Amino acid sequence: MSRPVVLGVGMIPFGKHVQRSVVDMGAEVARMALRDAGLGSRDVDMGFFANVLAARLFGDSTVGQNVLWEVGIHRIPVVNVENACASGSTAFVLACNAVLAGQAEAVMVVGSEKTVVPQLGLINSGESELDTQFGLVAPAGFALRAKRHMIDFGTKPEQLAAVSVKNRRHGSLNPFAQFREPISLEEVLESPMIVDPLTRLQCCPNADGAAAVLVVSPAVARRAGLVSGHPRWIEVRAALLATGSYENPQDLSRWETDYRAAALAYERAAVGPEDLDLIECHDAFTIAEVAHYEALRICAPGEGGRLAEAGETALGGRIPVNTSGGLLSRGHPPGATGVAQLVEIVTQLRGEAGSRQVEDARIGLAHCMGGDKAADSKSCTVAVLSR
Amino acid sequence: MTDSVVAPVPAPIAEGIFTLPPYDEAAPHLLGGRCLGGHGPFFPRPRYCPVCLDETEEADLGSEAKIYSFTVVRTRAPLGLPEPYSVGYVDMAGSGLRVFCLLDPNRIEELEVGRPARLVVEPLGTNGAGEPRLRPYFTPATAVPAEGDVEDDQR
Repeated sequence: MSRPVVLGVGMIPFGKHVQRSVVDMGAEVARMALRDAGLGSRDVDMGFFANVLAARLFGDSTVGQNVLWEVGIHRIPVVNVENACASGSTAFVLACNAVLAGQAEAVMVVGSEKTVVPQLGLINSGESELDTQFGLVAPAGFALRAKRHMIDFGTKPEQLAAVSVKNRRHGSLNPFAQFREPISLEEVLESPMIVDPLTRLQCCPNADGAAAVLVVSPAVARRAGLVSGHPRWIEVRAALLATGSYENPQDLSRWETDYRAAALAYERAAVGPEDLDLIECHDAFTIAEVAHYEALRICAPGEGGRLAEAGETALGGRIPVNTSGGLLSRGHPPGATGVAQLVEIVTQLRGEAGSRQVEDARIGLAHCMGGDKAADSKSCTVAVLSR
Repeated sequence: MTDSVVAPVPAPIAEGIFTLPPYDEAAPHLLGGRCLGGHGPFFPRPRYCPVCLDETEEADLGSEAKIYSFTVVRTRAPLGLPEPYSVGYVDMAGSGLRVFCLLDPNRIEELEVGRPARLVVEPLGTNGAGEPRLRPYFTPATAVPAEGDVEDDQR
């Protein structure tokens, strides 16, 4: 099978970009991805643009066409993607599918989002949903999982907090992260309680940001002068999207949809957890990263807290997770997050990650998750990339 | 609560999810749905059965439950809810349905996983337009019931 290749990436530092618009940031990263790939605007024959909040916050719609027009990409099919926190990674899945199906040769994927605006409030899963009317805000859904994880597996607050400490240390090495200062276990545990048992420093902050990747067919990659095996020939071994089962009752400490998506990705990519050199996962809250360790089978169910505490997922550990600093360090502009994870994986596989480089990284996995419905996830993506 | 002033009863936050006051018996009941072909129950009542797409009818889910997980939300509260407030999942006695719900904001200190709880319906918070609304929430049972009083869900 001829696998799609990620030929170009672009990203701006996440943070507070008060003066910038979604279009402005999106156009900048799209241009960076084109330049990085050595392709021109006219080479791109399909585009996917991810954003969650522009319609609600600014009254904007079909923003992707505006973004791509800014960088000379027009006439081609452009699709706007909204899939909660996994919007950017869903756009990537669609791009890979288009290339695999022979429907496109060079697909631009852009995620751009502003969340640092006064009218945002807390993200929920839809104003009209009954759960939202009952007070379900995103952090609460994760706190309820954390509570059960502690009861079912004996996970301790210090083990959850270890995830924040690790990711902020990784973030200190990443110029694209919003937070560049390491924090201590005590600081994490003593920061204000937000949703018991999660303290403020265990919750990802808001951010503005944008990221882009350019997905091409092997033929385009070869025309760009690459050959398979070149350090910049980054293949997509699998990229898939799963949706919740919404069955009742859900086991909050074993996230079935998460396990199911991971298992399918390993099968399609023909790799196992033991083959991975690094992982970027959806650490919106510390408990989420712990749960994803287990779903991705880098440890046994229930062992996630102990894995973090033992440093096995830190840079230099057995399987580094969120070498970028994750959502906990970058902040979380939901349309851009999933694309930013892919930028990190590609950067690591190219060997261009500088002081946070994972030695001889060959296979990386990006995982993202979004939306809450019936104690389940509405969108879960897993992508496996290799060089 | 004073009984000297008869305040108008606010509208329910959603139709068909709990029995409406006045309550002659001990507690209001949570309402869900079940399909005519026997699938379910579900909460809330679905338009169509998600298993066989048959029509659904109302199903009484009772008022007794057990707390499966809970948290206390200490951020700025949405929808006029108290600060802090508590939400969680409870397992309904009988059906075993795991339902997301508000928990008694006045008894946060007494919340405990595994503790029996029963449904209350009271004015609590508002709708999106800031108008008061009746909301269902679960309050911890005052006394831990004797063995067998609450059906245990062992699934």
